[in-house]
Amino acid sequence: MRMVSKCLLTLFAATTVVAHAQPLRIFACEPEWAALVRVLAPDAEVSSATHVLQDPHHIEARPALIGQLRRADLAVCTGASLEAGWLPMLQQRAANPAVQMGKPGLFFAAEQVKLIGIPEQVDRSNGDVHAEGNPHLHLDPHRLQEVAAALAERLAHLDPTGAPAYRQRYLQWADRWQQRMAGWQSRAASLRGQPVVAQHSSFAYLWAWLGLRQSADLEPKPGLPPSPGHLQQVLSRVRSELPLAVVQTSYQNPQPGEWLARQTGRPLLALPATVMSEGPAATLDGWFTRLIDQLLSASTPS
Amino acid sequence: MKHNKSLSLLAGNLLLCLSVHAADAIKANAGLPLDISLTLDGGFSSRDIVLGGRERGFALGHTELGASGNIDNRFRGQAAVALHRHEGKTELEVEEAYIETLGLPAGLQIRGGRFLAQIGYLNSQHVHADDFRERPLLYRAFLGQHYFDDGMRLNWVAPSDFLVQLGAEAFSGKTLNHTNSTRERIGTYTLNARLGGDLGRSQSWQFGLSWLRNQLQGEMKGTHDHHHDHAEGVAGEAHTHGASYTGRNLYLVDGVWKWAPDGNNRERQLRVSGEYARVTGLNKFASSADVHNAAYLSLVYRWHPQWEAGIRADALKVREPHDDHFHAGQLEERSVMLAYKPSHFSTLRLQLTQQQDRGGFAQASNTISLNYVMSLGAHGAHGF
Ligand SMILES: [Zn+2]
Repeated sequence: MRMVSKCLLTLFAATTVVAHAQPLRIFACEPEWAALVRVLAPDAEVSSATHVLQDPHHIEARPALIGQLRRADLAVCTGASLEAGWLPMLQQRAANPAVQMGKPGLFFAAEQVKLIGIPEQVDRSNGDVHAEGNPHLHLDPHRLQEVAAALAERLAHLDPTGAPAYRQRYLQWADRWQQRMAGWQSRAASLRGQPVVAQHSSFAYLWAWLGLRQSADLEPKPGLPPSPGHLQQVLSRVRSELPLAVVQTSYQNPQPGEWLARQTGRPLLALPATVMSEGPAATLDGWFTRLIDQLLSASTPS
Repeated sequence: MKHNKSLSLLAGNLLLCLSVHAADAIKANAGLPLDISLTLDGGFSSRDIVLGGRERGFALGHTELGASGNIDNRFRGQAAVALHRHEGKTELEVEEAYIETLGLPAGLQIRGGRFLAQIGYLNSQHVHADDFRERPLLYRAFLGQHYFDDGMRLNWVAPSDFLVQLGAEAFSGKTLNHTNSTRERIGTYTLNARLGGDLGRSQSWQFGLSWLRNQLQGEMKGTHDHHHDHAEGVAGEAHTHGASYTGRNLYLVDGVWKWAPDGNNRERQLRVSGEYARVTGLNKFASSADVHNAAYLSLVYRWHPQWEAGIRADALKVREPHDDHFHAGQLEERSVMLAYKPSHFSTLRLQLTQQQDRGGFAQASNTISLNYVMSLGAHGAHGF
């Protein structure tokens, strides 16, 4: 018994020492935050709990994620209850004091910006509404920049020796980002005022930024899958004003979208709801460029 | 009985107090200090089954009111009050009331109070998250549906990319042995190891080993108050939380494997889980061959966000002590279920269960049931 406890003690001691000698270990709940961390802290060891093909509302508190959160110095998540179904369980199981509620090691993007779509009243008969407002804020490049500024400060707080570098990288990135935003917006000027049909409020921030209008939702109620009856209603509603496109995320079942696209003769776009795992859209820049490209491809008749 | 009455009064007060808080909590939507949840569970079943936890006809199941939250920066707390029917009477029982550390270093965590023992795959999960109407036979026979008790736990999680978790617990042993007084200060101990991880994007797994030591085994003569005579066979009744078949040691092996295309479990998911348990040290007359065994294998498939279907096969083999000798008993059970989940908060389940007596369980029966499990308020995050 004594041997065992001695062994365990040495093991604990070893892990604590290693934690200081190594670069920051960062657990990102979603890929967009992992991408942002790679910009601000390229030396950090980053893992993303989810990827573009997964619905971030419905992730399981898997054993692998518990292990990853156990080692993290910082967890970067969306907040606003997007991860309510899994992050609390991970925090509880991972036994890592650094990433508990209220600790500097837990960063919520939604706490850094003002959210849109805050419901006046929350009742589950209206579906699984996001009570704190729409959490899919990373689709607004302005808000993304605000989050980046706050995240750079958080990194500086956690790792004071690297503070000047984090701030410097943020400023350089923000400069480029603003030019990019102006470029994307002028390219997408023709989209302004156009109606789109989409599923869920996933792209609401993007529509607001580009001036698109979501004229119908494939979801009968927030969080519920599209039903045949509801799709019929959507069809009769959009017949008088055909949408630019039917838009779904790459993790949503494409069948309802395909059906509506066939009925309306408008294209179906499967847009990546976040940074992709590989290819040109694996960075924030590349991902926004792809979103704009895909939307523009729908507006030019081929 | 007096004890029960004051308990239900206490629970009733707690219920009232919690529901008042719940109303406040829903109004202030951000940063709730307390998460309140109410789980409604009930339904109809055609017949009673052996070792079943639900009564035939219309009956409520595991109705539960829970509250949890961070107490301060060092502790988290959780409590749950559950409603049961026992011999025709409705009882309220505190199934969980514990505190847990948030700030210990090196992956250590201590929990104290009343909580679900960390053994096997299902025991530490809430019953309302189950895929079938009843817990597997293994749990109904050896753990009184689910084993919770007053005690303490120490856990350690390793700093690795996959899960390595070791845990040790000590409990009073009173709920498992269905007794109010005992000589022993610590009635049961457990040890548990869990490993788990991902295989690529689409698969994840978990494997566990557990040991439960029952110090109270043999202390109470005849284990329970009810003595079976020879004509009765070995069919136990399990509407209480005491275990029907006990021994000095319970060993458990459990494994889970889940598959979802691209890891997108909301749309489609296959869940395969199985457990095996062995109970030894039945009493002083028991030879090494006198052991209880139980196992199950469960397969559940979600093919649409709102639809799941599953099958489960259970087997139980017991040696029921009768003075200095043992009666062999063997029971098999098969279940098929279809679940409709209109939202994240509601489940309607149709299930067929068939029991087959292989000796000693003459009351083995078949049942068809329809039940609901629905939750209001905070929907606690589910485990794996
Ligand atoms: Zn959402």
